[in-house]
Amino acid sequence: MMRNHYIKLGFIIAVIAYCIWQIYPPDKKIKKGLDLQGGVHIVLEVQQPPEQDKSMSDVTQRALEIIRNRVDGLGVSEPVIQKEGTNRIIVDLPGIKDTQRAIDVIGKTALLEFRLVEEDTKKLTDALKGDSEVLKDYEVLYTQQKDERGIRREATPILVKRQPELTGAGLTDAFVGYGPSGFPEVNFVLNKEGAAKFAEVTEKNIGKRLAIVLDGVVKSAPVIRDRIPDGRGQISGDFTMDEAKELAVVLRAGALPAKVDIIYQQIVGPTLGKEYIEKSLRASLYGVIVVVIFMVIYYYAFGLLADFAMAMNLLILLAFMSLFKGVLTLPGIAGIALTCGMAVDANILIFERIREELRSGKSAKAAIEAGYHRAWSVILDSNITTIITGAILFFLGEGSVKGFGLTLSVGIIANLFTAVFATKAIVDFAVANRSIEKLRI
Amino acid sequence: MELIKNTRFDFIGKRKFAYLFSLAIIVIGMVIFGMRGKANFGIDFVGGDIVQIKFSTASSIVAVRNELKKLNIPEITVQEIGTEHNEFIIKSPPKTSDEILGVLETSFGKEHFTVMAKSVISPSMSVTLRKRALTAFFAGLIGILLYLTMRFEFHFAVCATIAIFHDLLIVIAILAISNRIIDGTIIAALLTIAGYSVNDTIVIFDRIRENLRKTRSKNYAELFNQSINETLSRTILTVLTVIFVDVLLLIFGGEPLKNFAYTLLFGFFFGAYSSIFIASAILIDWQKRSGFRFKL
Repeated sequence: MMRNHYIKLGFIIAVIAYCIWQIYPPDKKIKKGLDLQGGVHIVLEVQQPPEQDKSMSDVTQRALEIIRNRVDGLGVSEPVIQKEGTNRIIVDLPGIKDTQRAIDVIGKTALLEFRLVEEDTKKLTDALKGDSEVLKDYEVLYTQQKDERGIRREATPILVKRQPELTGAGLTDAFVGYGPSGFPEVNFVLNKEGAAKFAEVTEKNIGKRLAIVLDGVVKSAPVIRDRIPDGRGQISGDFTMDEAKELAVVLRAGALPAKVDIIYQQIVGPTLGKEYIEKSLRASLYGVIVVVIFMVIYYYAFGLLADFAMAMNLLILLAFMSLFKGVLTLPGIAGIALTCGMAVDANILIFERIREELRSGKSAKAAIEAGYHRAWSVILDSNITTIITGAILFFLGEGSVKGFGLTLSVGIIANLFTAVFATKAIVDFAVANRSIEKLRI
Repeated sequence: MELIKNTRFDFIGKRKFAYLFSLAIIVIGMVIFGMRGKANFGIDFVGGDIVQIKFSTASSIVAVRNELKKLNIPEITVQEIGTEHNEFIIKSPPKTSDEILGVLETSFGKEHFTVMAKSVISPSMSVTLRKRALTAFFAGLIGILLYLTMRFEFHFAVCATIAIFHDLLIVIAILAISNRIIDGTIIAALLTIAGYSVNDTIVIFDRIRENLRKTRSKNYAELFNQSINETLSRTILTVLTVIFVDVLLLIFGGEPLKNFAYTLLFGFFFGAYSSIFIASAILIDWQKRSGFRFKL
């Protein structure tokens, strides 16, 4: 009989030791959610491309791969990029500082086109008036200029051919360089077919202007002076260094197969997350301390036992998070604190039942047995209803709410073990081989 | 220590007052809820932008509001958070946050404030989030109902579910009355309330079942009262420990947890209240009216 008690106690100690080993050091072992460590969460919706025959799912998959390449170019440590449904892409960039740049890099279509410029000003004015005859073959695009506040405005209209001579699809490399006047520009290298086409176009159109169009905006429209045989060229414009780097990254990764819209975007600055962690942890700590003290005042040694079970509950919960790479979010921290408040419920149910059994005249040991036995089914029922809601929040919840569902349900599952099995083992061990006249509970 | 012992309150006898009280809160709340319309919901359910900014020195909410008036967007709301008068949350219609930041940059200077957080939710995304929240909500309720019917007799399960609906309606009513918004985290809070507040009802119903088996008494009112009183200390203590934690989260937990903890506070409180005053009372009234016998 006594051996049985030792085995159970040994098991409990082993669980605690394993959990501590698994958690330590918590700063490295527990993965923090975007809301706590800062970063960007974006949901992109891929628009239907003009070619109707392509399957939306394939287009999205292609877009996802390109976005992954672009994100790699940003150098984020643990990005998460996944497809949702047929036309959405979720991008999580934890810990990223320059959020705006990241969003620009991801959302840009980056369709690079080379289009011949039509210099006939009459055609341009006709096209601007909406002359469908001219617009059949040509299209009016605009150059972009920055105003005094640095915000881009579309400015001069340019008439270009509808059909591009060449697109960025034939690009093999893109990198930042400096132009003759010292401004940053983006150099590109075309592949063999691209270079051949480029050579042909430049040869045939010497003296004409070739517009370099990015996402429908004319970046520059240099005059073709000579045949360019090697497939090399520059895109100049009024770039800052950062913009040039950004453009090089997106050109290297390739153009998206369709336009994407950012339909959801959540940015958390790094300082805010830190503030959240501090506040929520402090509040949780206060809450737990109040519960711990309350239990001891109300149930004496048994209260201490419940507190021990609660601490163990917490350890198991955190060890689970570490082991299964669960993400801790701000509502998740609240979930942990609330779990602590709920964890003692099981013990309250047991202890109150023991008191009742004692009042009905049972001996101490019989009352303990009956208390645990009778309270069990109620504890199970009430924990399961909470687990049901926790699990649903984990599976269906969005973003940080998922973290709440996770800590809540795991905490309450662990509660069945700590509050019932563990405390019973300790009580059994304490009362074994002893005759107890009066139980102070 | 034992604070609640051998109580003999006549909960069942006073049930009409409880019904009236609950009904009053729910009706008032629902009228206000109806009047508020879209304003009941956070931007994740209706779409819109939120920008949280922090100035390097104290500023005034009036100054921020006045600058933003230049944009002529009536739906912009500015809310101050923290205690240092330098942190504000600006909510606005979809795709307006860049304009807002532009105005703030020109008026206050780019270097004088930082964007702490920003959320942009398009109307199409809000539809998705709304659908998902509703699915989670009803999946949770159905899950609990199914479990209860499995574990309890049908009449018990129905009354426990009515008590859950009662708690949720009261909490939504209170949110409307106190001018709070419902967003994704509030849906999580509501579901948590549903899962947790039914616990006390389970404890009481379990005791009623036990007493019915033991005594075979047909005086249900007395037997129900006795059962509620016997478990009263449990009902109050279990919810009290959770409320301790929740109140401290509400006071010290920081801005984003405020609405969440606030919602839970009322949910936990009214969850215990409905377990004591509503759930068993409905069961008694139902039994009186249709005269069924409890299958045990």
